[in-house]
Amino acid sequence: MATASPPQRSPLMTPSFLLAADLKARYRPQREWVEGRGLFLIVAHFLSGAGAAAWLLAVPLNGPPGLVVGWVLVALSGLAHLAFLGKPARFWRMARRPHSSWISRGLLGLAVFLLSGGGFLGLAWLGQGGSALGQGLFWLSLLGAAWLLVYKGFVWASAKGIPLWNTPLVPILYLVYGLRGGLAALLLVALAQPRAGELAAMETLKLWLGLSSALLVLVYVAVMRGTGLTAAASVRALLRGQAAAVFYLGVVLLGLVWPIALGAYALATPVSGVVLASVGLTSLLGDLALLYAVARAGLYRPLPA
Amino acid sequence: MRLGMVIDLKKCIGCYGCAAACKAENATPPGVLWCRVVKVESGTYPQVRRISVPLQCNHCGDPECLKVCPTGATFKHENGIVDIDHELCVGCRYCMMACPYQARTFQHQVLGYFPGGLTPYEQRGYQRHQEGTVSKCNFCLPRLERGLEPACVANCMSRARIFGDLDDPTSEVARAIREKGAQPLYPELGTDPSIFYIAP
Repeated sequence: MATASPPQRSPLMTPSFLLAADLKARYRPQREWVEGRGLFLIVAHFLSGAGAAAWLLAVPLNGPPGLVVGWVLVALSGLAHLAFLGKPARFWRMARRPHSSWISRGLLGLAVFLLSGGGFLGLAWLGQGGSALGQGLFWLSLLGAAWLLVYKGFVWASAKGIPLWNTPLVPILYLVYGLRGGLAALLLVALAQPRAGELAAMETLKLWLGLSSALLVLVYVAVMRGTGLTAAASVRALLRGQAAAVFYLGVVLLGLVWPIALGAYALATPVSGVVLASVGLTSLLGDLALLYAVARAGLYRPLPA
Repeated sequence: MRLGMVIDLKKCIGCYGCAAACKAENATPPGVLWCRVVKVESGTYPQVRRISVPLQCNHCGDPECLKVCPTGATFKHENGIVDIDHELCVGCRYCMMACPYQARTFQHQVLGYFPGGLTPYEQRGYQRHQEGTVSKCNFCLPRLERGLEPACVANCMSRARIFGDLDDPTSEVARAIREKGAQPLYPELGTDPSIFYIAP
């Protein structure tokens, strides 16, 4: 008696087949860090940057609510990292090579931050935040947060296969965008529980960071355009190709134009909480869009050379 | 000892025999190409030229994939072969971003070539592959251990591939590099590749 064969996906629909097609292209796009489960990596790096910056900036700007939000964002980034991995149950093995791998260094920073930050929040909840242990954990968490903010740019910049990322500008760009994300998260937190003078300070800082990041994006695009044929092809993909829609709508409009325009307006005239909330939200979306667009525009060097 | 290869592009006829032999030897699933052949056209009509360039892992002396691997899954044998321990790989794909030679493939799903499930050959061959990990050429290490050449070398009908010890100045591969001026791909990146090409 004939048995029914199990349903099977056509090999033509698999990412592997897509890869085989990409290999024929002069400039092959990287897909693993931006498509399918690769999207989790983009989200993870966005959350870890915003969360770490929120933790650092909460100290002078917002206080305990900002610390909690920062820690939660970083914890979520850990989950997003796990969702990205092909073998998530083996994640702990990624801490084995901090002497050469930025991912190992990042995992150690994440562990230090989550443990020390979580410990501090727990002690603070019990009213022991000011104790020697609490303060020790707090200072350790600040180091962990600073490390988290810095490391992810180096993860991308150390990828020699993709010239668009393989530049010292990427760590600077991602550091500034991490700070922007953290500040935007704190802005949203502050809107929920406003305190005197807090919003004005954040708005000024936000505007300054917005202008700085706009300048950095311009410098990055201009420099990479002249760095080599592959980097120039990536810039074309960013400005006119597969990443253009996200770049113009997400990075430029939502992430730069809207927050900067409203930030400048808010300095001159008091604006409503809803408007400020839109600045925070669009700024966050813009930060996420930048990570996505730069990943999407990543092209390998052509083979043969 | 450092194993390496010279590929003579003057002799390569672009038959894809190496790619097919690699697939047959290593039972790589659909879309996973440890060895591939790229056709390159240059010039304008009527002065047009088309060459075939076989590509695979370059088993670099200073491999970027090894540096960025966070688990140590990518490692180097004493004979210079860069290999992957699939039990250690977490599937972060950092090595794929770092490798300038696009030699690595992430195995999303190990599928069969034919409808109706895996063939007995696939069932046996796929035991070497793990979903959610990265894979690449290992110069057919199991064949080398049996005293055989890599499948791509043994099956090259035009004898365009020469395999051997780069450190031995008397080996055929070392002589070919020295006498025919073979060059690696992207030497300026400092990865010190072990695959050299004789220009067409």
